[in-house]
Amino acid sequence: MNYYLTFKKILDDLKTKDPLCAKNQWVGWTCTYLPLEILEAAHLTPFRILPEATTEKADSYLDPNFCPFIKAALEKALSGGYSFLSGIIFLNTCDGMRRLFDAWRFYCKPTFSYLLDLPRVIDSHSITFFKEGLEDLIKQLEGHFRRKIIEDDLRMAVERSNKTRELLIKLFSLQGRGDPPFTHGEILDILSERWKVGRPLFNQALELFMNSIKLDQKIYPVGPKVMITGSLLDGSDLVRMIEELGGEVVASDLCTGQRILNIVNLDSDPLDSLSQAYLGKPPCGRMYDTQRRIDFLKQKLLECKAQGLIYFSLKFCDPYLYEAPAIEGALKEIGIPMLFIEGEYSGKPGGGIRTRVQAFLEVLRENG
Amino acid sequence: MANKAIDLKFLRKMIHFPSTYQFLLPFLNLLHSKENQAYRVWVRFLLSTFRDAYAHQKPVVWINSFLPSELIYGLDAIPILPEIVSALVSYLGWSGRFLSRADTSISTDLCSFYRCALGLALEDFLPRPDLILSSSQLCDGANKFFNYLSRLYQCPHLLLDPPYSDHPRSHRYMEGQIEDFMDEATKILSLPLRIERFRLVLNRSNQARHWIKKINQLRQSIPSPFPGSEGLSYFSGMTFHSMGSPWALRFFPLLYAEIERKVFSKKGYLPEEKHRLLWLHHVRPYYKNEIFNILSSRGVALSFEEANYLYWPSLDPSKPWKSLADKILSNVWAGPIERRMRAIEEMRVAYSIDGAIHFSHWGCRQSCGGAAIIGDWLKEKGISYLILFGDCADPNNYSLGQTRTRLEAFIEMMG
Repeated sequence: MNYYLTFKKILDDLKTKDPLCAKNQWVGWTCTYLPLEILEAAHLTPFRILPEATTEKADSYLDPNFCPFIKAALEKALSGGYSFLSGIIFLNTCDGMRRLFDAWRFYCKPTFSYLLDLPRVIDSHSITFFKEGLEDLIKQLEGHFRRKIIEDDLRMAVERSNKTRELLIKLFSLQGRGDPPFTHGEILDILSERWKVGRPLFNQALELFMNSIKLDQKIYPVGPKVMITGSLLDGSDLVRMIEELGGEVVASDLCTGQRILNIVNLDSDPLDSLSQAYLGKPPCGRMYDTQRRIDFLKQKLLECKAQGLIYFSLKFCDPYLYEAPAIEGALKEIGIPMLFIEGEYSGKPGGGIRTRVQAFLEVLRENG
Repeated sequence: MANKAIDLKFLRKMIHFPSTYQFLLPFLNLLHSKENQAYRVWVRFLLSTFRDAYAHQKPVVWINSFLPSELIYGLDAIPILPEIVSALVSYLGWSGRFLSRADTSISTDLCSFYRCALGLALEDFLPRPDLILSSSQLCDGANKFFNYLSRLYQCPHLLLDPPYSDHPRSHRYMEGQIEDFMDEATKILSLPLRIERFRLVLNRSNQARHWIKKINQLRQSIPSPFPGSEGLSYFSGMTFHSMGSPWALRFFPLLYAEIERKVFSKKGYLPEEKHRLLWLHHVRPYYKNEIFNILSSRGVALSFEEANYLYWPSLDPSKPWKSLADKILSNVWAGPIERRMRAIEEMRVAYSIDGAIHFSHWGCRQSCGGAAIIGDWLKEKGISYLILFGDCADPNNYSLGQTRTRLEAFIEMMG
């Protein structure tokens, strides 16, 4: 049974039956620190910028030493691949993202663009500052799209997004069950569909899918358990390759993986809740305090009983490249080996990476 | 091989020995002519700073280029900028060994200033920090790299995190951060927070700023009185490292006087000036290279460099945190690229620029990422433009043949 294709069929059927699907007003986004609930409360549909990996035109606009994801995003925008968007929202994520914001505005002339400030330090001051930024974003959206974002809509959007998170947490918990076993790669493929459709449709499809598959409780042992960390992956190719080589990916601390599952606890002020929840989510490498990342990774490795960590950094991604030796050193102290991979934002990983992953899995097998 | 190891051991010992710097100081008078007094002050400043840092009579605080040095002088501590040390090491032709050492730990695609600094740290060539303070402004590396160094040295690291937007709420947030930052720093270093000292330091910084402004005005003269290659070395080095110190008040007036003499005598730094160039990016290659000789030999003057653009307003010594927050957030290289473009336009007009070179330093995303936009915009204004790919501290990324070909073609295009 191909779980992903089963899900995809359910989703596609729902899409054809949904008369509102074609009327969505899409707004692009680039970083998981953006509370999508704000866009959804404005009755806009967030569309994640996760382009195919080509950079022919973008090479003329950004230096050769630039993040391949950033270049691929600009490439698709320059080729008109995002012309259906009614706007685009960036965050102050990294140097690459700031320059993408400039290049996008300069060369693609979007009708609406905004860059939301994102603090690196997490304390009460930065949470307040982030919240003020969200208030400003709301003001700009209201002004441009001529609609009011009311508190009730924001609350409803948070409840819906929490529903997605709950469903996804449940989905990840099914990993390893069934015959053939439901794999992490398949779950990431299902998750990747989330970014291309509106939330209500995705939630509905996911509920139907989970009701349709009957997986027994037994978990089948596969091979050495590994966790993967990094920024983002283009699809599930690396994870599937690890699985093909006999490894079992048990957790994905990625912006395209489990880093988005934190439940938002709704308080009296929904913007307070969103600010706290988003800044407090599992940290991306761009945030201050490597120790917080180390503590998080150690805890997660323990929870999912992973025997090793695969650390994936996109080429030229400064935060992840600088951080890697500190993480490797800290994990060495507790006897967890780490494999560092610096790769392109592209489909199938090359032969070199395959060999290194194979050798890493061998080491994990030997370690027992 | 054995000799090299001994040499390195000897060199390390000499560098760590404060008397080495004391011994070197008198030789300076022999090294440079009286004409170049500002340069000598710069060298004295560096030697004195390293002497004091290795003697460790005061706390040593490592900072990065965009963290205002006034904060460290206000604490009465010694600021050390690893990036500047890397530039010096590269200038002396020693960077190769330290880059190779760093390359065993981090990617070669990262900034060579940081790679070289890491090599220096791993080889124990730098004065030990008591505290590392860095600012995330403009450079992603300034957060994680300095955090990694703090783990190596097992000393605390604090991060100033300037927002992207220049909004009133950003200024409030920045001011609050500085206040907390200094509170924490004084606790870590067991130093008193003396506001009157910060007032003194900000007054000094304002005086230095006054001289930088005057120098920049003088440099508008035709022919160009002062080479941009030097503007990118000791001039900008002092602006990053000495603001708020008494050294700045010795250095900048002397530099002004030297340039003023040339302007009065209508002497350019080139025998014949055919074109006036603006150098974009804060840095240049510091190892031996032919870039500036090629330009000079063809009558192309490097009239000004973006690194010395005076972007910050005069500071208010009665409100040190607010003033320094304003200084940080007035940085034209932060925020949307239009800020940088406005500054470039101002420089283009003020310095009668007819060409610009963007030096795209390998590993620097923030500046290089805007090079194409700036180029397209400058070309629309009829300004000749060249993106020169290279590396500031790693000579392995420099190719004389390629550089010469690109520069010759560019000069030809300028006519």
